[in-house]
Amino acid sequence: MTVDEAIEAGLIGPNLWLYSNYTCNLTCTYCLTESAPNVPARELSRERMQELAREAAALGFRGFGVTGGEPFLLTDMPGRLADLSELLPVTVLSNATAFNGDRLNGVKALGGKDVTIQISLDSAEPIKNDAMRGPENFRKVLAAIPRLLDAGVGVRIASTVEDPEHADLSDLCELHRSLGISDEDHVVRTIIRRGRAATEGMGETVGTTELFPELTVTADGAFWSPFAPTVADGRLDTDLLVTRSTRPLEHAAETLIRLVSGSGTTRYDDRFR
Amino acid sequence: MSRVEQVDTDQAPLAAKPFYANGKPGPIGETLAQVPELMEVALPFIGVSLGASSVADFRTKELVIVRASALQDCRYCTLTHMAIALDAGVSTEEMKVLRDAPAGAAAGAFADEREAALLAWTDAMALGSGDIPDDVFAEFSRHFSEPAIVDLTMTIGTTLMLNRYCTALELPVAPANLSKLAEAGLA
Repeated sequence: MTVDEAIEAGLIGPNLWLYSNYTCNLTCTYCLTESAPNVPARELSRERMQELAREAAALGFRGFGVTGGEPFLLTDMPGRLADLSELLPVTVLSNATAFNGDRLNGVKALGGKDVTIQISLDSAEPIKNDAMRGPENFRKVLAAIPRLLDAGVGVRIASTVEDPEHADLSDLCELHRSLGISDEDHVVRTIIRRGRAATEGMGETVGTTELFPELTVTADGAFWSPFAPTVADGRLDTDLLVTRSTRPLEHAAETLIRLVSGSGTTRYDDRFR
Repeated sequence: MSRVEQVDTDQAPLAAKPFYANGKPGPIGETLAQVPELMEVALPFIGVSLGASSVADFRTKELVIVRASALQDCRYCTLTHMAIALDAGVSTEEMKVLRDAPAGAAAGAFADEREAALLAWTDAMALGSGDIPDDVFAEFSRHFSEPAIVDLTMTIGTTLMLNRYCTALELPVAPANLSKLAEAGLA
């Protein structure tokens, strides 16, 4: 079965996810990858991202997801995203707290490109939000969103909460609507008990039964989903590793499809897509 | 401790998990699990290459594995397969010959002409760096069919590859195997 057919059949997700780097300017309490300023970067080079993107487009993937770490700590990230968007639509996950000076200008240049920045915001209450994400996070995010929208950059909001089904998100939804972000562009995610969240005793335990398979490439290999290449106590988790080598990408994709086909699971938890 | 991490059950990559279904796969498997796509092809290959077949039985295979490993001075392979070879009917005295006899000297200690020819072939492969002498092959081929020759030659080749892998990465011998050898007077 080809990648195109597997996507068409709903066996695997339509996007190729790329972990650009693991470094981050924040140290969030629930971070899956234990990202922080001084962790090993595990960076995918610009050239490698471009190679992977070209191969993925030829295989039939429909879009790219870029995540980290904080991708925009890599100063050439806007250029990388612009390159990728020439091939397929791009969604990049960001905390939006490093958008100032030249970096902001670079991000603004993405206006009009097929690039959407998915920004994390966990609560409408600054104190509650900043307790998980770090000081001044709320203020910086709310300052960044209008600037991006004004520049014509697509923005989505992602909120990570302990219990989405019972969480009162009305204030948060009111806030994102007031910023010009529609409900359609608001994603609510559950904390997953991996990485720092596991150390802190937060979130839900998941595996291949719950996580929708979406091929995810990092500097360490190819993984089952973007929730898979986690780091715990400084050590990379390999329980959801698909292949160590990502050259050719086709082999990693074929292995994922084979593993999915052999797993017998056909329904995944929609919260972990 | 080996020089690289031996992947534990809870960290076994997806394609490696079947190899952990009946317990941990041992140091070779646990290190290969770091590269699951390699493990997926290497472990079945190793299993077929080193395992008993219709043309080379359990004892025959273990004779060549222990002998090649001893000549290569691979502690892990020698001790692990000496423990296995006890179950294959290799006697304590035979085991000492396989382990201790200098290159070219093991064959003479085996009365069975077939096994002597096999060990001469093993010694020539394990320590030689060039062509294998025709007379050694002639004697070997007098006792074994062509499929058996291919099977056993690949067994020796696989063993030599594993000897270097296990030695280089300093794979640890299971305590149970060390105890078993000690009980048999082979410590």
